[in-house]
Amino acid sequence: MSSTTVAPHPAAAPQRIVHRRHWGAWAFGIVVLLLFAALLKAAASARIVDLGVVGQYIFSEQIVTGAVNSLLLGSVALLIAVAVGLVAALMRVSGNPILVAFSATYVYLFRGTPMLIQLIFWFNAFPTMFKTLHIELFGQVLLSVPMTQVITPYGAALLGLSLAEGAYMAEIIRGGILAVDAGQRDAARSLGMTTAQLMRRIVIPQASRIIVPATGNQYIMLLKSTSLASAIGYLELLRITTDIYASNFRVVELLAVAGFWYLVMTALATALQTGLEKRFPHR
Amino acid sequence: MHTPATAAAAIRTVGVTKKRGALTVLSNVSVEVPRGQVVALLGPSGAGKSTLLRCINHLETIDAGRIFVEGDLIGYRERGDVLHELPDEASSRQRRRIGMVFQSFNLFRHLTAIDNVMAGPVHVLGMPRTQALALAQKLLAQVGLAEKAGSYPNQLSGGQQQRVAIARALAMQPTVMLLDEPTSALDPELSQEVIAAIRQLAAQGLTLMIATHEMAIARDFADRVLFMVQGEVVEDAPAREFFTAPRHERAKVFVARHE
Repeated sequence: MSSTTVAPHPAAAPQRIVHRRHWGAWAFGIVVLLLFAALLKAAASARIVDLGVVGQYIFSEQIVTGAVNSLLLGSVALLIAVAVGLVAALMRVSGNPILVAFSATYVYLFRGTPMLIQLIFWFNAFPTMFKTLHIELFGQVLLSVPMTQVITPYGAALLGLSLAEGAYMAEIIRGGILAVDAGQRDAARSLGMTTAQLMRRIVIPQASRIIVPATGNQYIMLLKSTSLASAIGYLELLRITTDIYASNFRVVELLAVAGFWYLVMTALATALQTGLEKRFPHR
Repeated sequence: MHTPATAAAAIRTVGVTKKRGALTVLSNVSVEVPRGQVVALLGPSGAGKSTLLRCINHLETIDAGRIFVEGDLIGYRERGDVLHELPDEASSRQRRRIGMVFQSFNLFRHLTAIDNVMAGPVHVLGMPRTQALALAQKLLAQVGLAEKAGSYPNQLSGGQQQRVAIARALAMQPTVMLLDEPTSALDPELSQEVIAAIRQLAAQGLTLMIATHEMAIARDFADRVLFMVQGEVVEDAPAREFFTAPRHERAKVFVARHE
């Protein structure tokens, strides 16, 4: 509308204002509703889940033990992965060509191959390559045991998950460290802090606000990745679940039970992450 | 050089040269600053002012020459006619008594104003927290920010951040303060409060070396001006003399432009 056609009382309030309507989104919303209705209709005609069976297993000793095993395996693996990742990240940012190359190769290998292959390698292949674990210092034998005693299903799962996850953590921690600007280090140095002090007091605390949320995400992934250990016979949640339904054929109910416990673990991890994030607020 | 050489010079650089690739950033810089003197480092951008300051507390290495602060050879150990770079621990120890203030403030973002000021005494000197707290409160009051003790850097204006940064440097009880363009990131109004804080340092008798574009600092309370061009100190004169009768061609242009 050009200015010449404006009404003689420009200060007068307009009669009515019509805002833009998002017709496309509404149309798509209706399509979503229709699809969901079709899904419900199919579900209604499917075999009903026997809630009695679900209730029978959901808090059974076997299942709860499996869930606890998964939670412990995932949690301990995360702690080791954080330590491994921190060392690998510090090596990567050290500037020393040997340490940089070593760290980069580790990350490439362990992040670049499937976790399942790594678990099978540690459990099946590694003990056939090295038959005994033999530690000797100055002619003194400190430890000499058959490798199969060390590499139990739990040992292999813990080793495999920690090292694979450590590669992801290395990248997350490195990203966090690089995000702290150089001026912070200059300021810390000018106060007389050594490199170790400024890392501990200044860089790592500031990097944490980037590292913590990403680590929470990794924790959730790792808790679910513990199910891979079922392939090497560790009695975690999924393995116990499949063992049970292999004998009673209640596949749907038992998968629902397992799913429930994974959701509980995820909720725990999310709560932990939220709590930690409050300790490292964005400033 | 217009000041007599003394054994107890606060800062003494002898033939300091620094290269970055093919570029010579500092070329044979020899300067002697007696205790308590306020030196303004002037010159166009890229003249090497910041680099000289950063070399004085060994935030950067040098390629030739020697730097002494309070008689100590900074960053290196002399063995025969070779300088060996000191280990991290020893260099860090030397930096304790050399305060530094940065153009971009560089307050520790995860710490409150008071914790920023306490960081040095507590973590570097191992001072008990209660004692460090009292010291930090005193210093924040000195720069007029007692009521901002609990604020994080992102809750402070640029001028307030820079004043906290000055208090943080003072907490280490330095004998020498290096100020790297302390007001360049501030608008003129906020610059004034920072300049007032720096003027106070000068009045306390600290040795100050200030790289700056702020004529108020150079004119009002600097004792001496070092004018740098392309890594060289081309003019070294008492401040009054520099502004009334600059000798070097570039200095004349510089002074005329800032009239």
